[in-house]
Amino acid sequence: MLIFDQLKKDDPQLRLVAVLVLGGLSVLLAGLWWVQVVSARDYQANLEMQSFRTVRTPAVRGRILDRNGVTLAENRPTYNISLYLEELPSQFQAEYARIRPVRTVTNSSAFWRRWLGAPTVKTQYVKLKKAQIDGLKRQARYSVASNVVKQVSLRLRQPLGLDATNFEDHYKPRLSQPYPVLTNLNSAQIALFEEQSTTPMGVDLEVRSSRYYPYGTTAAHVVGHLQFDDSSMEGEEAFFSYRLPDYHGVVGVEYGLDKALRGMAGNKSVLVNNVGYRQTENIWSPAEPGSNVVLTIDLRVQQEAERALQNAHGAGTRGAVVVMDVQNGDILALASSPPYDPNWFIPNLGRTNYDRMVELHSEKNRATQEHYMPGSIFKLVVGLAALEAGWDPNEIIHVPPNPAQPNKGFIKVANHVIKDTAPPGDYEFKRALKLSSNTYFVTCGLRIGPEPIVRMGRLLHLGERTGFASTRQEVSGAFPGLRRLNSGWTDGNTANMSIGQDPVLVTPLQVAVLTSAIANGGRVLTPRLVDRIESPDPLSGTPPLILPRTPVRGQLGVSERTLAIMHEAMLADTEDPDGTGRHVRDQAPLPGLRICGKTGTAQVQNESNVKIASTVWFASFAPYCPPGAHEKPRYSVVVMVEGGLSGVSGGETCAPVAGKVYAALMERDRTTNRNAEALTKLN
Amino acid sequence: MFDADLNERQPRIDRVQLVALIGLMLMGAAFVYSATMVSESARLAPWYNQSWFRQIVWYVIGTGAAAALCCLDYHTLARFAMIVYWCAVLLLVLVLFFGTVRYGARRWFDLGFFSLQPSEFAKIAFILAQAHFLSRPVEELRVMATFWKALSLMMLPFVLILKEPDLGSALVLVPTGLAMLYVAGTPRHYLARLLGGVCILGALFVADVLFMPPSWQVKLEDYQRRRLMVYFSKDYAPPNAPKADRERLRKQQFDDSHNVRQALISVGSGGLTGKGWRQGTQNALGYLPRAVAHNDFIFSVIAEEKGFVGSVIVLTLYGVVLFCGVRIAGQARDRLGKTMAVGVVTLLFSHVFINIGMNIRIMPVTGVPLPLLSYGGSSVLGSLIAMGMLQNVHIYRKAY
Repeated sequence: MLIFDQLKKDDPQLRLVAVLVLGGLSVLLAGLWWVQVVSARDYQANLEMQSFRTVRTPAVRGRILDRNGVTLAENRPTYNISLYLEELPSQFQAEYARIRPVRTVTNSSAFWRRWLGAPTVKTQYVKLKKAQIDGLKRQARYSVASNVVKQVSLRLRQPLGLDATNFEDHYKPRLSQPYPVLTNLNSAQIALFEEQSTTPMGVDLEVRSSRYYPYGTTAAHVVGHLQFDDSSMEGEEAFFSYRLPDYHGVVGVEYGLDKALRGMAGNKSVLVNNVGYRQTENIWSPAEPGSNVVLTIDLRVQQEAERALQNAHGAGTRGAVVVMDVQNGDILALASSPPYDPNWFIPNLGRTNYDRMVELHSEKNRATQEHYMPGSIFKLVVGLAALEAGWDPNEIIHVPPNPAQPNKGFIKVANHVIKDTAPPGDYEFKRALKLSSNTYFVTCGLRIGPEPIVRMGRLLHLGERTGFASTRQEVSGAFPGLRRLNSGWTDGNTANMSIGQDPVLVTPLQVAVLTSAIANGGRVLTPRLVDRIESPDPLSGTPPLILPRTPVRGQLGVSERTLAIMHEAMLADTEDPDGTGRHVRDQAPLPGLRICGKTGTAQVQNESNVKIASTVWFASFAPYCPPGAHEKPRYSVVVMVEGGLSGVSGGETCAPVAGKVYAALMERDRTTNRNAEALTKLN
Repeated sequence: MFDADLNERQPRIDRVQLVALIGLMLMGAAFVYSATMVSESARLAPWYNQSWFRQIVWYVIGTGAAAALCCLDYHTLARFAMIVYWCAVLLLVLVLFFGTVRYGARRWFDLGFFSLQPSEFAKIAFILAQAHFLSRPVEELRVMATFWKALSLMMLPFVLILKEPDLGSALVLVPTGLAMLYVAGTPRHYLARLLGGVCILGALFVADVLFMPPSWQVKLEDYQRRRLMVYFSKDYAPPNAPKADRERLRKQQFDDSHNVRQALISVGSGGLTGKGWRQGTQNALGYLPRAVAHNDFIFSVIAEEKGFVGSVIVLTLYGVVLFCGVRIAGQARDRLGKTMAVGVVTLLFSHVFINIGMNIRIMPVTGVPLPLLSYGGSSVLGSLIAMGMLQNVHIYRKAY
């Protein structure tokens, strides 16, 4: 090469110079190769780290609908006025320049005065320490921002403040994110803000989606609620510089189907400059909206059940109602009282609401989340077991009068007196059930022994969760296993179990399953709360995911005769003038509907066997269908109320509630029929 | 071959070098534009006040000055060497008293439209004077006194520039002076001893700054000490410092190494082919400080926007200029021309090596501009005058 010619010449000094220059350039070349080619990736990562901020953008949560498409949980836009800080730095700078202290200096050196004539006078910024500069800059920022806020405040005609600490706390770590000035504007405020065409510099209206439950407390326990939680879910990007507010389900359907409802959070990246102001925004992956969940709940039935329940035992009634379709297990209503409002949790649960909930334990879904002694409604299980074990329903059992209360019966089991609420006299099966004779069923239980009862209970899956939906709200209750019978089981235990006391604990939902099994011919169903999961976009063409219909968990394997006897006895409970369940029609006429029911009262005792409270029940199904009838029973309604020491009973407290629910169910049937008729006419 | 007037002016300049120089100037204008047009205030300035235009004006003035220099045989120029040298020294002295302070150093004369940086011209004056001094008979060079005189010639501007303080510009005089001494024919053992001495002194100096307790340390500007510590990745905080101090010093160290770190990120993130002209984000977003992006750190901008390819082009252009310079030295008519050419080549090379090296962290940060690419009137003018001297040696070379 031409320019290397010199190296060949015999001039050692120049050659050395050339070699050194060549060597130096080679070192630079190697260094550049190392930095720009070999480790380029590291530096690019470094660059991204310092100049990109990733932001997690939550997806729009899916809606929760009742079986008729009425929205129980939805999203509505909330409007915030936000301050976009990246539009303000020049104002910050100007304000800083304004408030910076200056001094006037006179260049009065004798030398200059002589040569230039007049002394030169100029202003000069006073030299400041770094801490002072930072303080002044902070002050400048704050005064600019609070000026902007003041303009917004004038426009909205309401006083707005800018908290200096709060602003500074936002400024430092979240500079590239807008600062919220006022959140959750109402429509009047939005109108005031929007009516003028220009907005103050750096301010804009920001729309976010937030969860809203239009029916408030209605079906609150089923729907569940959300909690502020912006952490990344499985399969999502895990590292974000910032996260926009997001919520996750805590209980109820919101929890159980959180994954489907939540959709997929998206992420966007914000390019920031060296100071941290936002330059541009780029959406990497848009958020995918969550799916809609359609429940089996019928809103009208649910509303009526809640209304009836909340007034059952005065204000603040604690109790539950379960309405189930006995043929397919669909839960039409699942009410718990006292209620709470899931809207309280958005954006977060305040102190007053928290106290309120703690005081009433209203967050508990009493239909599934608490277990209770079943009391006399357990006699249904004892009855089934006894009849299957060959018990003669017509056999007369004589009940002696209680010496302490001559108008009530009693029975003595192993030196323990078990009091009866039914009068003394002769009982066969039907009378015993409708009057709920303890003596009769204890005798019955002792005679057939505990094993058939336990077997029947096991077939009904008592002591196990029904597994109706993973709502984080279900307890299993308690029921002895067969093994328990071999270890210290006494007749006293059998007697207690026969009248639904001590070792047995059930949830109202389990009772509904039990009642349904008696009503539908012995099929033990898994209650069904969620019907289907649909795509949020009706035009997407994705077929909805339908959860299995009529999930049968097991068969009781009891004879039709047994069931017919049971049905008849339960019918007598509500229709005979002395039946304990006769009050079911007290507040609703229910023309033409024949209801089979069983009342129950369980006594809650403390450790020293002192009665402290009672749980009253009404378990029922309708309509009654005699053997061979074309029609089939359709609904089971279970009502449970936690009562005090007195003043409540299954018949008087719970049965009227069930009656009102049946009225709502009849109304529902009428509407369905009308619609069906209209449809046939149209066709 | 049979040219009658062998010693006369041969109006042929080194075209290869000229092409490389034009290439560098085009790149310089383009990237000064890219580096400065990111800020709003720069964009709003009238075009004739924008940096890229001013840079072009300086290219034109510099080229004019270089062309003017080429009209006179370098022998004629050498006659004025000592005058020029002492004028430069005088300017260096004056700047210490009347210069404007910028970034904590008194290096400039503020002339309103232009800030004159005398050290840029002092370097050239030194080359001219040194070449002239060393052009005496070889026998004289073997005398110790001559050697010392030559050294003093170098030390005077060195000390004055160091006083400004401008360590970088002072340091480039050392290799330049040494290379000229060597090429001129100074006995090797003198040079070996000198080089050894310089190395030992340098090592002692660095060790002293980094490891000695403060009371034992050489008086040094605080920022210079910190730059050295940044370069050697030495913790600011002494091992026994209290926690609060340690935090503060660590933060300061992070801040101080900001430029180097950002320059390295710029260069590295450019990758093989770069992000494209005016597409670099480091500069646009202000991570690479705006005050230095277009002058001392212009290479970062080029490397980020044009990648390794761009870096290689820059290195190649400098390589062409440097080797043309070495060839010119080899073809020079006499020792004066040869020494002068080697001086210019070494000066240019030192600038290039220190500046690019500082961008990729193989050299500590010193305010040394990248010749012809960095924005700055004095630097451009100085570099072009030096190139003019080189061409002058070429034009009046011996003819075979």
